[in-house]
Amino acid sequence: MALKQRIEQVGNVKAWFGELPVESLYTAGVGGEQFFRTLKDEGVFTGTRCEQCGIVYVPGRIFCERCLTKLDRWVKVGSEGTLKSWTVLYLGLDGKPQAEPEIVGLIELDGASTVLVHRLGNIQPAEIRFGMRVKAVLKPKSKREGAITDIRFFEPV
Amino acid sequence: MKQKKETMPVLPGTGLKDEDFKKGRVLTTSWNADARYAWDAGVAIGRYLAGLKQGKILGVGCNKCGRVMVPPRIFCEWCFRNIDEWVELKDTGRVNTFSLCYVTWDVKRIKEPQIPAVIEVDGASPGMGIMHLLGEVDPKKVQVGMRVKAVWKPANEREGAITDIKYFKPI
Repeated sequence: MALKQRIEQVGNVKAWFGELPVESLYTAGVGGEQFFRTLKDEGVFTGTRCEQCGIVYVPGRIFCERCLTKLDRWVKVGSEGTLKSWTVLYLGLDGKPQAEPEIVGLIELDGASTVLVHRLGNIQPAEIRFGMRVKAVLKPKSKREGAITDIRFFEPV
Repeated sequence: MKQKKETMPVLPGTGLKDEDFKKGRVLTTSWNADARYAWDAGVAIGRYLAGLKQGKILGVGCNKCGRVMVPPRIFCEWCFRNIDEWVELKDTGRVNTFSLCYVTWDVKRIKEPQIPAVIEVDGASPGMGIMHLLGEVDPKKVQVGMRVKAVWKPANEREGAITDIKYFKPI
């Protein structure tokens, strides 16, 4: 049996099946904590600005990735932005076709130098254009929990 | 979340305690990886496991160095050539080395020790052995060189696994 077949058809050879119990609890970190708290409580996007490099990081980092300067100046950025790129996902995480394709985009919020990865909603794949204007659709405040999913998706402005 | 600068003299960072997570002082995302796996036993171990299901301990022989090896492998690592034959070994042997374990694999204390041992299987070359457990023996009386025999599961419960041998007991 060829190696590729052996890998794809492991049931046909003597194989051990098992499962590793892996649980992870991921903290947002100092910068992420600040970003998500503000998003949760105020529904506002914030970042940190490096004066030296003129870059605004969103979510805020606590140091500049280019010059390694410590960053503690938090600035508000817009909840609208520009679509820099996107991809249409016809398969789900389980590798099976999805009922509705999911669209994931890179969004540069107004005032930010970096992009956020998030879903696009209320738009058909054929209508998407580079550089189109989008805005964040947040969950209602009572449902927000300080996570990236507090943003439901970005939709066309 | 408290910055405990006094306890962190060297590295910057945020010390977190279990209760910081439980009381929601820090934002977290939890995720359980779906870490299923299938591990291919390979040609030699596959046949070895099939042998165990039949109640046999199989070894392999190399005609160049003359060794009989167990567990089986597909090539002789001394001569770097394919093995020449498959041989059925006895299910008896001698204790090469052992350990008295008062802690289980997942770090629980136990009163009666588990006794993992390397058993040199009769019919294999000296020093060739398999790792297994000793049973039906007083931990204080286990000795290197002790003669032992495999205690098998009943044939209908065997599944082609090393656990088809329950343990080795003194003879």
